[in-house]
Amino acid sequence: MKILVCLKQILDPDIPPRDFAIDRDNRRAARGSANLVTNIFCENALETALQLREKAEGEITALTFGPSSAEDVLRKALALKADHACLVEDEAGEYRNSATTALVLAAAIRKLGEFDLIMVGREAGDWGAGQTGGLLAEQLGLPSVSFVDSIEATADGVTLRRQTELGWEKVEATTPLVVTITNNDENVPRIPKTRDIMMSARKPVTNWKLSDIDVTCDDITAAGTALEVVDLAIPEKTTECEFIEGDSIDEKIDAFAKRLASIVQSA
Amino acid sequence: MMLLAALNPAEATREVMWNISHSWVMYMLLVPTMIIAGRGVYRQVQKWRAGQPAARFDRPAERIKRVVKHVLLQQATLRDRFAGVYHFLLFWGMITLTIATTVVLIHHDFSIDIMRGRFYLYFQSLFVDVLGVLAMTGVAMLAVRRWIVRPKKLVYTDESTWLLVLLFAILGTGFLLEGWRIAATNDPWGNWSPAGIVISKASLAVASVETLTTLHWLVWWFHMALVFGLIAWAPYTKLLHVLTAPLNIYTANLDAGGGTLKQIDFESAQSFGINSLEQFTWKDLLDLDACTECGRCTSVCPANTVGKQLSPRDIILDLQSLLDRNDLASRNSKSDGEQPDEYKPAFPVIGQTDNLSSDALFECTTCAACVEICPVSIEQLPKIVDMRRFQVMERAEFPQQMQDAISSLEGRGHPFKGTQLSRMDWAEGMDVPTIEDVDAPEVLLWVGCGGALVDRNQRSTRALANLLKQAGVNFAILGREETCTGDPARRIGNEFLFETLATQNIETLKTHNIKSVLTSCPHCFNTFRNEYPKLGGDFEVLHHTTYLAKLIGEGRLTLDAKAAERIAFHDPCYLGRHNGITDAPRKILKQLTGSAPAEMEKHGRQSFCCGGGGGLSFVDEPPDKRVNQERARQALDTNAETLAVGCPFCTTMMEDGINAVKGDREMVVKDIAEVMWETVSRE
Repeated sequence: MKILVCLKQILDPDIPPRDFAIDRDNRRAARGSANLVTNIFCENALETALQLREKAEGEITALTFGPSSAEDVLRKALALKADHACLVEDEAGEYRNSATTALVLAAAIRKLGEFDLIMVGREAGDWGAGQTGGLLAEQLGLPSVSFVDSIEATADGVTLRRQTELGWEKVEATTPLVVTITNNDENVPRIPKTRDIMMSARKPVTNWKLSDIDVTCDDITAAGTALEVVDLAIPEKTTECEFIEGDSIDEKIDAFAKRLASIVQSA
Repeated sequence: MMLLAALNPAEATREVMWNISHSWVMYMLLVPTMIIAGRGVYRQVQKWRAGQPAARFDRPAERIKRVVKHVLLQQATLRDRFAGVYHFLLFWGMITLTIATTVVLIHHDFSIDIMRGRFYLYFQSLFVDVLGVLAMTGVAMLAVRRWIVRPKKLVYTDESTWLLVLLFAILGTGFLLEGWRIAATNDPWGNWSPAGIVISKASLAVASVETLTTLHWLVWWFHMALVFGLIAWAPYTKLLHVLTAPLNIYTANLDAGGGTLKQIDFESAQSFGINSLEQFTWKDLLDLDACTECGRCTSVCPANTVGKQLSPRDIILDLQSLLDRNDLASRNSKSDGEQPDEYKPAFPVIGQTDNLSSDALFECTTCAACVEICPVSIEQLPKIVDMRRFQVMERAEFPQQMQDAISSLEGRGHPFKGTQLSRMDWAEGMDVPTIEDVDAPEVLLWVGCGGALVDRNQRSTRALANLLKQAGVNFAILGREETCTGDPARRIGNEFLFETLATQNIETLKTHNIKSVLTSCPHCFNTFRNEYPKLGGDFEVLHHTTYLAKLIGEGRLTLDAKAAERIAFHDPCYLGRHNGITDAPRKILKQLTGSAPAEMEKHGRQSFCCGGGGGLSFVDEPPDKRVNQERARQALDTNAETLAVGCPFCTTMMEDGINAVKGDREMVVKDIAEVMWETVSRE
C-alpha cells in the first residue's frame, strides 16, 4: 500500500499563554519565542500510517508545504522511518489558508505519483480550520472520510473507524482515498530512536519550488480568495468571582443552582 | 630441669605436626585443591576481561587509602552495626588464623624455628586463640541473624547455609584439635591458649589420653579436608568476594558520586546504551562478582522501600547469574558484511528477569543511595542508566510521561510539558538584571527550569534574587537564553539529547564569558560541576546554600531576628550524597534559629530521596507507592514546623507528599532561601 501523509509545521501551541502574540496588521500569529513543531494531528496521522505499514506492506511518503524550516518536520518523519519526504517550499512565507494549501498539496501529490491512501491531520493547532483534508480530496477528485482514528487494510481497500458525536462508525472504503485523522489512545505518536534521528539527517528530501509543481502565483491568489481573514485578536480573559450567600447549606445550594441556571440561560 | 626449661618463656614452643604422619598426603591433596580453586578464579577473571576498558588504576595513593579504610578497617561494612561487627570479627579472625597456619608452614616445612619464645606465646598461642574465639563469636552472630532475625534484605540460599556450616565446622574442629593436643601432650604452655585449655580439661574429664590421641588424628584429617574443601569451593560461591571485594574497592570510581555516568562515543558506539553483558566494562562485571548479597542497597532504595519492583541488589545478582550462565569469551563475531538495521545483543540483559525489566529500571530515581551504602564499592546506578539508555535511544520504549518530558526538552528546552509559565515570569516587577545589562557579573544566577517554570518555586527563586540584591552581589541571569542543563535527559537515558543541550549551554556561557555559575538546583549544580567539565565546560559552580553561607560569613548578609519555628532539613540527593554538601545548609539554619536543625533518621549522605530524581518527578507514581509520601512521613516524625530544602524538585515533591499524608499535623516546606529572606536584615 502506498501511503502519503501530509504534515504541517506550526508554532508550538503549548507555549505559555502570555508568550503568545499576534501580528494584527498582517493578521497572523507572531513567532515570538515559540518553537516550531509538527502539528499534533499530523503526528497522529503519521503514527496511524506507521502502524498500518507494520501490518500491511507499504511505503510512506511525507509531504509538507511551508517555509524552508518545515524540512524539520520531514526529518522527524524520516527519523520515524517514513520512506520518502518531499518539501514544497513556500518562498513567500505568507499565510496560506486551507484552500491554497490544498491546491499546492494536490499539485505535489499528482507529481509524486499514485497513492492508495492520503492521510491528513484532522485540523492544525494554529488556525484549527479543519478544511485542508476535504479540499484536498476535492482537488484530487477523490472520496474522503473525516475524523478517522484507526485503519485496517482489507483485500480490496480499507476499513476505517471514524469518530462521531454518537460514537464510532465503521466505514469500508475502496482506495485511492483521502482520510483526515483524529487522535485516540492507539495513535499516540511514537518517538524516534536516537540512531534513526542521526541517520535521518543523511536521508534525501525532495525539495520543490512552486514552479516545480506548475503552480503559479495567480493560481495561489485565485484559490486564496475563497477565504479571507478580516481581523485577528486575542480574546481578553476576565475573571469574575461571585460568592453565593445563604443561611443554611440547603439555601446556598438552592441559590447556587438558580444562579447557575440564569447564567446558562443568558449565555 | 625439664620443669625449669619448660617455664622459661624464651624456650616456649610446641611440637608441630604432633600425632600426624604421612603429611605428604596433605600436600598431594593441596594440588587438586589449588587447581580447582585456581580454575574458579581464572574463569571469572576471563569473564571480566571480556568487558570493555575502564581506567581504574590511576591515583594509587587514593586507592590504597580506600583499601585501608574499607578493607582493613571495614569502615563501610561497620555502618551496619550488627553485621559489621561480626564481619569484622570473622575478617580479622580468619586472617589471623591464616597467618598462624602460615607460621606453622614456615616453621615446619622451611625448618625455620620461629614458633618459639614470646612470639609463640603472645601471638601464636594467645592472640590466635582469642581471635579464633572472636571469629567463632562472629559465626554465632551470623547464625543468629540468618536463622533467627532473618532480615528481609538477605538472600537465603543453600549455598549460604553450607558456607556457614563449613566455617563453623572448621573453627570448631580447630579448637578441638588444639584442646586435645594440649591434653594428650600435657602441654606446659597450654594456659596461653584459653579456649584450648578449657577444651583440654573438659575432654580429659570424659575421655582418656589414648582416646583423645586417636580422635585428634581423625579430626585433624577431617579438619584439613574441610579447609581444602572450602578453598576449592570458595571461588564458585559468594565467598569469592574475599578476592573480588578488595579488588573492587581498589578499582572503585573515584569521581564524585554525581559524575559517574559514562560518556558515549556516538560515532563509534555499537549501540547507544547497554543490553548485552560484554558491553559493560570489566569493572562493571567485576562489580557483579564482588557482591556479597548483603542487601543493603535494596534496603535503602526508595523505590523498593515503597513497594516497587526495583531492587538494586537483585539487578546485580541477576546480572551475576547471567554472567555465570554465559561464556563471554565464546562470543563469535558473526559479520555477514552488512550492518544490521537493529543491534542484536549477544548476551541480552534487559527483560531477562523481572528485576531487569524495563519497568523496574525506570523506577530508579538515580538517588545513588545504593552506591553510597555498598560496602564493596559496587556501582548499581551507572548500570541502571546504561540499560535505560538502551531502552530510550535504541528502542524508544520507556514511560510515556518521561517521553513527554524528553520531547519537551527537545522542542522547548525544558521538561515541563504544558507549563503556563515562561522563563522570566518569576522576575516580574523585580528588576532582575539579565546578562545583556551587566558587563562582568560576579556570578551568573542559573535559575533552572525547576526554579523558573514551576509556580511554587517562583517564591524560592524570588527569595534568592532578593537575598543577592540585599547582599549587593553583582549578578545576572541569562533570561530567555537559559535552557535545561540536560540533567533529566541524562538520567532518563537520552545521552544524545544531554550532550546536545550541554554543548549548547557551554557555548552560551562561553559566549557571555561567564566564570562563575550560581544555582539553587542541585541537579543543575551537579551537571555543571561534574559533567560539563568532561565536555569542555569549566566554570566555578556554586550551590545557593554554600553561597548564602558564604555571604553570611563575609558579613554581606546579616540575620535580623531568630526564626522562631522549629526547622528540619531534607538533604537533596544531588547536593548531599552526590556532592558531599551537607554542612552549609545546616550552618545557615543554625544561624537562623540558634540551634541545629531537627534531623530525620536518614540525613546527610544517607538521606532518603524525595522521589523526584531520574525523571521521576514527571511521572505519576501509583497512589500507594509514592516515594515522596514515605519521605513526608519521615519529615513529619521530626515534629518540626518547617521542612527546609535546597532543591526546587524536592520542594514540590515534599510539599505534595506532606499535604497528602499530614492528617492534622502541620508542616510547611520552604527553600532555604525563603527561610533566610524572612529573617535577613533588609534595607
